[in-house]
Amino acid sequence: MTGGSRGIGRSIAEVLAAEGAAVAVNYRSGEAQAQEVVQTITQSGGRAAAVGGDVSEYAQAEAVVAETVAQLGGIHILVNNAGISKDALIYNMDPGEWLDVMRVNFGGTFNCTKASLGPFMSQREGAVVNISSVMGERGWTGESNYAASKGAINAFTRCCAVEFARFGIRVNAVLPGFAPTDMVAGLMDKDGGKGISKQIPMKRFATVEEVARTAVFLAGPDSSHMTGALLTVDGGVSAQVGIGKPL
Amino acid sequence: MADVDSAVKEAVVEALALDDDEVTPEATLMEELGAESIDLLDILFRIEKSTGVKIEASDLGDYIQGGISDDEFSDENQVISEVGAEQLHKVMPQTDPADLAGKLKADEVMTLFTVQNLVEMVSSRADGASG
Repeated sequence: MTGGSRGIGRSIAEVLAAEGAAVAVNYRSGEAQAQEVVQTITQSGGRAAAVGGDVSEYAQAEAVVAETVAQLGGIHILVNNAGISKDALIYNMDPGEWLDVMRVNFGGTFNCTKASLGPFMSQREGAVVNISSVMGERGWTGESNYAASKGAINAFTRCCAVEFARFGIRVNAVLPGFAPTDMVAGLMDKDGGKGISKQIPMKRFATVEEVARTAVFLAGPDSSHMTGALLTVDGGVSAQVGIGKPL
Repeated sequence: MADVDSAVKEAVVEALALDDDEVTPEATLMEELGAESIDLLDILFRIEKSTGVKIEASDLGDYIQGGISDDEFSDENQVISEVGAEQLHKVMPQTDPADLAGKLKADEVMTLFTVQNLVEMVSSRADGASG
């Protein structure tokens, strides 16, 4: 579970643990928060371990997978969730800012997927869930770097699905719309998120648990014939045209 | 450990979705059975699972070339040399060095690799691991 110390990642870690999975909670800088997630899981009778490492670096991603196997005895599910945003208009964007976002969001997904392939292919079984975004399918002013990284994850998800299917490895993605996490704190600060929520057909943000439950569905046996799927959890955002007024 | 002959055959049959009788020892994996690079990877992982013998895809080329340097194995046009052809005959006894030297391109050697050649390779690795 990359980026498992907070937000959607934390919720996925907790739901996975509640479903009986032993969870490696990966973190880059939030060790205390990751330990808190581990403690929450173990106090509820589950198994978990905090595993530090910057997954945007391939060598560290390999080490994270190796430590996960060493601490928990194997790896059967990979949730690529670690992500950052550095929103800016393209005109103003520092070239380093698109690369930073791409390296963590897509690079981390690529690195951890590749690093997990050895065990997955040997056991001929594995489930990869990539936490993408509706931004990967739509445009949003100021999020070109983030949206491009998520679009890359979507394309990667499809390619992985095709390439790994014969090895018994499924690869799917969850595309959340808006959920109350640190990543959208700026939007929430403005007006409590009302400006956004009134544009969502369901008139509310997703809860992190709603996103987590979809991820856990894709990780588990109930989705055993699904691979290459991109599931939106966006309250209808990506289903609407978004221009004009209803009758 | 599973019998190597049957483990290799089963891996090829399953990875390429072929019938049992199509996978003969003398059939070439790529030319006759139609294996592509991802099929070879699949075959090697299936063999590892059933026999415990780990072979990386890159090992295939190394095994065929037998430690001979690229400069010795082929000429400046990447065509197999006499030394290279003799090496190919060692690991693929069905080949005739006279038919290969000066004729076969180095990147085509895998097209000659048969099911039986793979059996021999896996057996030699298994012997090495146990010995």
